[in-house]
Amino acid sequence: MMFPILSSLVALPIAGAILLLFVRDDEHNEPLVRNIALVVSLLVFAQTLLLWSRFNAGSAEFQFVERHAWIPAFGISYLVGVDGISLLLLVLTGFLTPLALLSSWESVHKKTKAFCIFVLLLESAMMGVFVSLDLFLFYIFWDAMLIPMYFLIGIWGYDRRVYAAVKFMLYTMAGSVLMLLAILALAYLHNAATGAYSFDLLRLYDLRIPPPMQFWCFLAFALAFAIKVPLFPFHTWLPDAHVEAPTAGSVILAGVLLKMGTYGLVRFAFPLFPLAASYFAPYLALLAVIGIMYGALVAMVQPDMKKLVAYSSVSHLGFVVLGIAAMNTQGVQGAVYQMLNHGVSTGGLFLIVGMLSDRRHTRLISEYGGLKRVVPHLVAVFLIVTLSSIGLPGLNGFVGELLILLGAFRWSPRAAAFAASGVILSATYMLWMFQRVNYGPVNNDKNKTMRDLSAREWAILVPIVAMIALMGVLPNMFLRPIGPSVERMLNQVRQGAGVQIQAIKNSEFGSRNSD
Amino acid sequence: MPPGISTSDFYYILPELVLTGGALLVLIADVLLPRGSKALAWVTLLAIGATIASLVPFGSTHVEVAHGLLAVDQFALFFKIVFLGAAALTVLMSVRYLEIEGASPGEYYFLILCATLGMMIMAGGIDLLTIFIGLETMAVSFYILAGFIKPNQRSNEAAVKYFLLGAFSLGILLYGMSIMYGLSGTTNLRTMATAFVGQERDPRLVLAVILVVAGLGFKIAAVPFHMWAPDVYEGAPTPVTAFLSVGSKAASFAMLLRIFLEGLPSMSADWRLMFEVLAIVTMTIGNLAALTQTNIKRMLAYSSIAHAGYILIGVVAGTPRGVAAMLIYLLIYAFMQLGAFTIIIIMRRQDVVGDELKDFSGLHIRHPFAAFAMLLFMLSLGGIPPTAGFMGKFWLFGAAIDAGYVRLAVIGVLNSAISLYYYIRLVVFMYLKPQGAGSPVTTSPSLGIALAVAVIGTIFLGVYPRLLFDLAEMSARTLGVAAVTAAIR
Amino acid sequence: MLSAYIPIAIFVVVATGFALFTLVFSSLLHPEKYNKVKLEPYECGIEPMTDARDRYSIRYYLVAMLFVIFDVETVFMFPWAVIFNKLLLFGLIEMLVFIFILLVGYYYAWQKGALEWV
Repeated sequence: MMFPILSSLVALPIAGAILLLFVRDDEHNEPLVRNIALVVSLLVFAQTLLLWSRFNAGSAEFQFVERHAWIPAFGISYLVGVDGISLLLLVLTGFLTPLALLSSWESVHKKTKAFCIFVLLLESAMMGVFVSLDLFLFYIFWDAMLIPMYFLIGIWGYDRRVYAAVKFMLYTMAGSVLMLLAILALAYLHNAATGAYSFDLLRLYDLRIPPPMQFWCFLAFALAFAIKVPLFPFHTWLPDAHVEAPTAGSVILAGVLLKMGTYGLVRFAFPLFPLAASYFAPYLALLAVIGIMYGALVAMVQPDMKKLVAYSSVSHLGFVVLGIAAMNTQGVQGAVYQMLNHGVSTGGLFLIVGMLSDRRHTRLISEYGGLKRVVPHLVAVFLIVTLSSIGLPGLNGFVGELLILLGAFRWSPRAAAFAASGVILSATYMLWMFQRVNYGPVNNDKNKTMRDLSAREWAILVPIVAMIALMGVLPNMFLRPIGPSVERMLNQVRQGAGVQIQAIKNSEFGSRNSD
Repeated sequence: MPPGISTSDFYYILPELVLTGGALLVLIADVLLPRGSKALAWVTLLAIGATIASLVPFGSTHVEVAHGLLAVDQFALFFKIVFLGAAALTVLMSVRYLEIEGASPGEYYFLILCATLGMMIMAGGIDLLTIFIGLETMAVSFYILAGFIKPNQRSNEAAVKYFLLGAFSLGILLYGMSIMYGLSGTTNLRTMATAFVGQERDPRLVLAVILVVAGLGFKIAAVPFHMWAPDVYEGAPTPVTAFLSVGSKAASFAMLLRIFLEGLPSMSADWRLMFEVLAIVTMTIGNLAALTQTNIKRMLAYSSIAHAGYILIGVVAGTPRGVAAMLIYLLIYAFMQLGAFTIIIIMRRQDVVGDELKDFSGLHIRHPFAAFAMLLFMLSLGGIPPTAGFMGKFWLFGAAIDAGYVRLAVIGVLNSAISLYYYIRLVVFMYLKPQGAGSPVTTSPSLGIALAVAVIGTIFLGVYPRLLFDLAEMSARTLGVAAVTAAIR
Repeated sequence: MLSAYIPIAIFVVVATGFALFTLVFSSLLHPEKYNKVKLEPYECGIEPMTDARDRYSIRYYLVAMLFVIFDVETVFMFPWAVIFNKLLLFGLIEMLVFIFILLVGYYYAWQKGALEWV
């Protein structure tokens, strides 16, 4: 009997949360609570690494699959599995959660126990989203992650946190309910075709769905994911949510939650509805490119650092969607790789902004200036993360963006041209922000007594820098598991679209012949 | 033995007989026990427990009793379990409430049991007369219960409004039923179904269907027959409101299913269209009206109206899966709604009425478990996984898509998303606002039991609903199937 | 068929007519000689002391309600009595059960003081 590693990835954080419930919530116990949560999240991370080491990188099949019947009457089962695409996202989740917990060591003091419980529950939901292969199970985890995030923003956030939390929840819910209907429609179509309901993704991949229905279902799925990514124009929840969330919340939100949208496109929307995907891909690409430009331009004029990084997320994830929409090997591989990159580098950016705001309790760029003289170590790490976000060759961002631009160029040179200008724009706003915050004279007196990185903060930032460097210099280590799975997905889309186009052509020929 | 009745008939109506005996026992106990004794609630619970125990031998019967007056089948059994469970939770909720309000408990428990008896007859009835008798029993009991807190003006207002509107709509319903009788020559629903085959175009029958839909629409608080619900729900004593919103609604839906799926299947094109329109309007207006409410009981009233809309989707679907979805949703709804009202009763202390939104401020500091339970119920009512409410909605919308009513399902999910706003608003008050004023919030043992049952039900059915699904599908399939008559010479 | 109702119609007409006739005719025939004493309301020969709008005891209402309930019980006993020889023992026991249920209600009302007249 194989150890159910995927289920334990989902269950271990929940177990940690339940364990924390029994610890009494007072100041005396605060270090204990934090340590328990940290240990649990590190255990989960270790498990993801173990999973990676045992993963067969050459195979495109789903591995470590577990299947248990849940509601047989409707064809719903507890089905989990991992392939190259989701493997690294799981590792990313496991990587970022301990860092998020560590970053809140100093900044969260009230209701620490509840905070840690919510972070652990969120981690469990995120793991669940990435491993689910049953659509119903996926939907449950997808919606379930809203609740801890809502509380994280609503209780430990900043001034307009209630507004941001409610907006986040309602916006995401509105998209996902339509996805629920599309999921139900899929089950019904499966029943119409084979006589049995099924929510099993692997079986649904083989389903041939007639075009009009396929288009609606794709749009429903795409809407839910587009809100999550966020794709222009469904991005308006993101700035508020990011700005008002506590540092740990922002890190997890930007690092993992946004990836769920793009993951959903790659895992569900495109392979399940290949014809609709091929039809709508240009529109998705258009929105992505608009998002790249728009996010970059708006980021340039932000006075608040966190909001600037939030809009930069919109811009960078536009790249990811562009890569997916290009639907070729480089594009999709680049997209998946960029998902990981963005998680690490934007996570790092939020961590650093969080450290600055812990010291000065402000995120306005104008309040800073000349930090290089006061906190040189912090600024050094800040520089590395900024350069990674821009896409400097040698760091991780470059590999991802290069692959995406290659793939986009093969598909549509014009789109690639616009996207490439987005790279320039991102350099502009990031470097300008960096210069305003870190270089120049120290004008503001309050900045003069800022303390440099503590041991804990080093412990948070060193892994980030290490990952940035590693992913920039040895990208193949990460691309190897991704490759076969991406190929499989692309084959599914091409074959599915091709078969259906052929079927339509055949029926047209047939009707013409009969005239 | 007169013709048509045999001793085995009495065997099959054993649960109802036990409940009647229990109700009389409660009445006598109220006289004999000393004033202010809590034992009366336990006598009532004993009666309910005995009734549930007497349901056990009928797990797989499928008979008609007394020449087709009552049916004892799994459909009725499912509903009887829902009613008795809801009644038990209501009794648990009422103990402390009655004490605070200063109302005399004896008649109260008796009336609860009478209402439950009426509901059980409604669920089992397959003859128009039987259904009507059950309906009247339940309705009259509720009229009195709604006005039970005599010094309270709101309570009296609720009772009068409910009585007047109820009597009026019952009249309409009866008129529709009498037309149905006139056109078919019989009051038995199953015989009527065969008599109506081929009569779909008959304008008198269409009129009868419209009238019956209107009368039933009142009972389930569908728009535009919902005007009584907010005022009655707000004014009536909170446990009565809870029981009303769960039991009366479930019984009315049972009645609806019986009449339309057993008695009028030939008119399904007509009533399906009517219910579709009713469902859309009810869901939408119920949700939109709830968005602006600040009184929790009123908000739950409008949300209850909206939920009736969701359940009507199952009627429109009409397939066994649709009916099963309704049964599932009604049971899950019972847990959620009774749980939410239990929390409102917990909030009712000597100095605070506790049903305004602002009374819930900072509840998670004052009573974290109550706040968590309310969070759970709000999420469940809004349909967020992994709660039971999500499972229920999922099954309902799945049934709708299965039957081809995609538009209804789309409107349903959109309304579900809208409804989340006002459910989350309460969560915001409980968790994100500073602590409110007033005496400390405490639970009593009976309230604690009721709350625990509701919470466990909501969580368990959200994670492992399989048993419930299978049970409901089985019950739904017995609807409309011709049964064996019980008359044994 | 409707001809069977003619005697009832005559009955209604005669009864209403008689009442109307006496009232109308007497009001046409009487002399109009009013004075203050004659216009006072009649109270069994005693002089009226207070306003006629006094508090009405709710006991009358309770008595009326109880009367209606037990009167309807009696009404139900009539058709039962008519076909009693077909219903035999079963019918007797059923009627006894019916009366017993109402008896419990009666006992309850008695103990709760609904029959007190003080």
